[in-house]
Amino acid sequence: MILTGSEIAACVRRGEITIEPFNHDMLNPNSYNYRLGEQLYRVETSADGDRARRIPCPLVEGRWLLAKQQLYLGHTLEVIGSTHYVTSLIGRSSMGRLGIFVQVSANIGHVGAIHRWTLEIVTAHDTYLYPQQRIGQISFWTVAGAQRQYSGWYGRHNEPMLSKGHVEMQLQAGGERQQPQEPPEPLAREARRGRQ
Amino acid sequence: MILTGNEIANQIRSGGIVCEPFEHEHVNPNSLDLTLGNRLLRYTREPLDPRAEAEVEELEIPRSGVTLPGLTFRLGCSHEIIGSNHFVPIVHGKSSTARAGLFVHVTADLIDIGSVGRITFQLFATMPITVYPGMRIGQVTFWKPHGAIDLYGGKYKGSTGPMKSLSFRDKFWGTL
Repeated sequence: MILTGSEIAACVRRGEITIEPFNHDMLNPNSYNYRLGEQLYRVETSADGDRARRIPCPLVEGRWLLAKQQLYLGHTLEVIGSTHYVTSLIGRSSMGRLGIFVQVSANIGHVGAIHRWTLEIVTAHDTYLYPQQRIGQISFWTVAGAQRQYSGWYGRHNEPMLSKGHVEMQLQAGGERQQPQEPPEPLAREARRGRQ
Repeated sequence: MILTGNEIANQIRSGGIVCEPFEHEHVNPNSLDLTLGNRLLRYTREPLDPRAEAEVEELEIPRSGVTLPGLTFRLGCSHEIIGSNHFVPIVHGKSSTARAGLFVHVTADLIDIGSVGRITFQLFATMPITVYPGMRIGQVTFWKPHGAIDLYGGKYKGSTGPMKSLSFRDKFWGTL
């Protein structure tokens, strides 16, 4: 079952759902509005698709201009998650009506993952976005069955994370390394090993 | 929990779900088909800015259909007036339109409980596709809520056709 807005608020009070910071004005009938965080990266991949890097997007006059049909990684301003309910991260209709994808069909958050969520942003038009604007919604769902808490790599990070399927490319000379320490075994490398 | 098709039909008969007009043959095992209304909106000027009112052009879809070019975005609407004060609707594509590369929403699939109107489709064509008025383009599922219900009273309430984004009316812009 999907939680109503008043039930989301009750769960936050009881500590069963984390939304930090939490603001009552952000509640909808069956979801909560989350905001866009302060870091946005354009993703650039190698021609063979094996390697990728994140290029920080500069703010110009307090906003970003996103080029259409290009993948960006952003994050939720709020730390969000639950040890009791399944989080579904979706868009806001006001943004969907502008042609803004905030994820690319991976909406489910595992029970136990509590962090700032990475947003996979693709726009159908060249579009301005603003840090801290309301950009999407999260809903929470009851579960059936014995619980197992998520403890994976992505759930430990609060900033926009590249796909583990990519080997990270270094930025050009003088650039800083973008992926945080202890990168996981890349999926692509594992897959190649599996084929050998 | 998700309602079965039989329960959706029961709820439409008893008034728990609104679907106007209702065709029994649009009922699937766990969803209800939505057909495409005859109007489309196209944004005419880029870049789009969620803080500013966007200009749109309205197009009527002729019976012979209209072709959406690849990688283009249009707003359409359901012919049906849909909603519920008791269950949460979620919009999905039909597998037939999805197999042709057409998105019917761009991650905003959740309809607020208490919102009754024509659903605005966020149509993004990944390759050229011709759409026709009355075609079965999407489907809607209905989900049981848990907790006390507060009904939707937002800016898209009672939509009668495709509605462009009204994000420019949001009050929070003044606080950024």
